[in-house]
Amino acid sequence: MIHDPQAAAWLVWLESSALAVAMRKWMWLYPGVEIVHITGIVALVGGAVLFDLRLLGLSRGLPVAMLARHLLPWSRVGLGLVAVSGAFMFTAHATEWAENSAFRLKMLLIIAAGLNAWAFHRWPFRSVARWDRDVPAPPRARVAAVLSIALWLSVISCGRLLAYL
Amino acid sequence: MRYLYTALLAIVLSTGPALAHHGWSGYDSDKPMNLTGTIREAGYEHPHGYVKLEVPGKTWLVVLAPPSRMENRGLPPSSLKAGKTATVVGYPNRTDPNELRAERITLDGKTTELR
Repeated sequence: MIHDPQAAAWLVWLESSALAVAMRKWMWLYPGVEIVHITGIVALVGGAVLFDLRLLGLSRGLPVAMLARHLLPWSRVGLGLVAVSGAFMFTAHATEWAENSAFRLKMLLIIAAGLNAWAFHRWPFRSVARWDRDVPAPPRARVAAVLSIALWLSVISCGRLLAYL
Repeated sequence: MRYLYTALLAIVLSTGPALAHHGWSGYDSDKPMNLTGTIREAGYEHPHGYVKLEVPGKTWLVVLAPPSRMENRGLPPSSLKAGKTATVVGYPNRTDPNELRAERITLDGKTTELR
């Protein structure tokens, strides 16, 4: 074990749990969980970004509401996969990740991306019937799309960089 | 938005140094080191195995390779044991003066490449 002696008790407990030990010691569990995590990222970010590009004016002939019904459920499936696999990986080195600045920033960016998606559905998306196809999406929807792309790409960047900090 | 940036900055700046660092770029390959010492603790763990190697005056945290790679290269879990003498060639961490990433390790007269 490589505990930080100053680490919070709950992080040490998490890192000592049977799941954390299995993550560190079983030969193929960790890489398997990483594969699930990457697959989840593809579904989550892929679905979200393709939808965002439509909001920004690409393929304007595709109805926005229909595209949302097709893509966004896959984003939610992806969110479930990354959340569970991410929690598995977090337990394995909880004390270390909790101190990692890229990891902390990543968590904040995920919250920001979630709030952005919530705000999009709460406000501009309510009037989608008026801009469903062949017309530009309202500015607020386009701002949400730009934020969504920027935030999710930043989340991916932090996720990769946390192993290098 | 300004509050969000301030919050992000505060959280990033408040973090101490991380304990283990994984990518090779975090280690200074211009300063290769050759250490021989006694293994005090060993972990055959994901994402990288490690040994705590005691040399005169210091104990290094030596980061090794992923378990699957060590197994493939003939360095099974049973070979990494506390009390054994090991020689490692590696590079010091750029920020953590007690950590080294090993390029190769020699145990029981057998050298295993780890990269």
